[in-house]
Amino acid sequence: MRTSLAWLNLTHEKTRLLVAIAGVAFAVILVFMNLGFLGSLSDTAAITYSTINAEVYLISPQALEITTTKPFPIERLYQAGGIDGVKRVMPLYVSYLQWRNVETRQSRALFVYGINPSDPVFLLPDLQKPEVQAALGQVDTVLMDRLSRPEFGPQATGTTTEADGRKATVGGQYTLGGGFAADGTLIMSDQNFRRYFDPFPLNQINLGLIKLNDGVDPLQVVEALRQTLPQDVLVMTQEQITARDRDYWIGATSTGFIFGMGVAVSCVVGVVIVYQILYTDISEHLKQYATLKAMGYRSGFLFNTVLQEAVILAVLGYIPGFIISLGLYELTLRATSGGLPVVMNIGRALFVLTLTVLMCSLSGLASVQKVINTDPADVF
Amino acid sequence: MRTPLAWFNLTYERRRLLTAIAGVSFAVLLMFMFKGFENALYDSQVQLLKVLNGDIIVVNRLKYTMFIPEQFARRRLYQAQAFEGVEAAYPLYTRDGAYWKNPDTKAVRPLRVLAFNPNDPVLNIPEVLAKQEGLKLPWTVIVDEKSRAEVGPRAAGIVTELAEQQIEVIGTYSMGTDFASANGNVIMSDQNFLRYFSDLGPEETERDLNTVDIGLVKIAPGADVNALVAAMRQRLPNDISIVTKAEFVDMELEYWRKNTSIGFVFTLLTTMSFAVGIILVYQILYTDVSEHWVEYATLKAIGYSNRYLLGVVMQQSLILTMLGFVPGYLIALVLYKAATNATGLLMNMTPGRALEILVATVSMCLISGAIAVRKVQAADPAEVFGS
Repeated sequence: MRTSLAWLNLTHEKTRLLVAIAGVAFAVILVFMNLGFLGSLSDTAAITYSTINAEVYLISPQALEITTTKPFPIERLYQAGGIDGVKRVMPLYVSYLQWRNVETRQSRALFVYGINPSDPVFLLPDLQKPEVQAALGQVDTVLMDRLSRPEFGPQATGTTTEADGRKATVGGQYTLGGGFAADGTLIMSDQNFRRYFDPFPLNQINLGLIKLNDGVDPLQVVEALRQTLPQDVLVMTQEQITARDRDYWIGATSTGFIFGMGVAVSCVVGVVIVYQILYTDISEHLKQYATLKAMGYRSGFLFNTVLQEAVILAVLGYIPGFIISLGLYELTLRATSGGLPVVMNIGRALFVLTLTVLMCSLSGLASVQKVINTDPADVF
Repeated sequence: MRTPLAWFNLTYERRRLLTAIAGVSFAVLLMFMFKGFENALYDSQVQLLKVLNGDIIVVNRLKYTMFIPEQFARRRLYQAQAFEGVEAAYPLYTRDGAYWKNPDTKAVRPLRVLAFNPNDPVLNIPEVLAKQEGLKLPWTVIVDEKSRAEVGPRAAGIVTELAEQQIEVIGTYSMGTDFASANGNVIMSDQNFLRYFSDLGPEETERDLNTVDIGLVKIAPGADVNALVAAMRQRLPNDISIVTKAEFVDMELEYWRKNTSIGFVFTLLTTMSFAVGIILVYQILYTDVSEHWVEYATLKAIGYSNRYLLGVVMQQSLILTMLGFVPGYLIALVLYKAATNATGLLMNMTPGRALEILVATVSMCLISGAIAVRKVQAADPAEVFGS
């Protein structure tokens, strides 16, 4: 077997190797964190819509995303009910409600979904329980999201507090999460929505949800609806409305820019760290490299060695970076009480690995110049 | 004069020095960027609060952040005026989520309306104070130049719609947006506020001038703010909270730091960037020390003490810090500018912040230097030349 020169070069000095790995690992962590936060922005939209039991959505063209909508007449939804292939139409009311923490007596805005209790609007398993269904129908009773921030206070069933100057009782819980737009969510019946948000009338709705018969192509129904309905509503499939919300979060708010820039700066720092390490290594072993050249090894061999070192550093740094990132993701989930869906997925893990190898190789290429230009005669 | 060994060590190999400086600069830049984003978040949330022209702020007891749309009775302000040392009390009315029509695209975007009596100097913005006379005309407004692009053109003379009623822009001022204001802030007179928001039909909550969002109390020169706050707290009903302006700003910042997901995200990222900065600088110093190992060992063999060597490494790290800090700072200034132009974020570089990062950089250089020098101190001259 050939001597693995790259490996021996790196492991020759243990402390330096450890620091090098730590450097790469931290760059990896920074990239992971930025991507994680960016991902949680787009996931927020996807998570909300994927729990809604509808294939086609009506929304005002003036709406920015689900928490910033503009009401439109419920007649549009009734009109949609007459289209072939439509099984059921359901209105969805949304708004922010000031919820008082029973313990600290401080109010804070919760995001509220108002639904007709007889409509199967959400696919959440908790909502299928008969006792939760019964609670939903009661006066001044609401269901609370387990992933609401702790600042909202006790969330146990039976807790009674005040919301916008009106008594409110928690009748049950579910798990959804509000993401960046909301610190917590509530589900209540449309009748209660009418009570809390008086004088908001129920014939003005924020979202129209359309459930189709099995096997009907949503795109066809969307096409038919667009022809039938006036232009004061947008008609979209679930994928389209999810993409629209995601684009808003990433494009229209500054968050996409901030985290994108975060990734870029972290990568540059990673490149600099690895370059430092490789450059030092090369200048320390310049004599050995020159000797190899004098013995007849080609520049290509030396080039390979440095590149191998770069890739080894990338992989060795990636592993702890990945593991620590998992820990930090968990920490973020806990610190935000699960409200911010920061989760690892395979795509991102692979992307960052590729990015790490690329950035290390880039540093390798930048530092290898010195070896290639080495003239054995000069060195000695 | 003694030979400046540290300086010669560093400048001996030019390329090596440049790389080291670049490394430190990047560490500095990294810290500046993440700290900058964090500061931008906090700064923009309190920029409106900072221009309020009052020494004492009165708000509804429930309003602990600008996100709580609770008002208090205007008579509390009249009561406050009766205290000795109070010069004036101004009511400020706000309306979040008022729909503004972009005159070009005809799309509506929510923004925040600030309204007050145009005879009172309520906001400490010279451009606003100069245009208050014009605000007395019905259906007029001043728009923030730094509103988000979605608001559309904002020059004087533009006629568009606010809350589905006609409105004329009579001028602009410059402030910036925050999360509660959504797309921007527009300023109008209290009388116009009534025209737009007192009769909205059955679907929306209406406003009148009897309830105030933020009360500004201006005190006479020489009066003691804290004593006045204490006296007012004691004698006024407890349906309002009475705080100094500084406390009001701190309260809002506290909310963002402690109670929001966004605050947590930026704290985490800033901490991480500091850790990376330390590792990067350590790496550079360590390299430097190990390159001159032989020379250090020689110095030791001639009889120089460990202390002297520590001094040399520390000097080196200080020089590196200074040389690296300057380009890092300059690049950060350019990037701050770029980020501000691209997003409208309030990326402010203040001397205090630059100093904060400088101190952080120096201390991390010293720490890394101290770690790196241990290798030299452990060096035995005999061993070094033996191999």
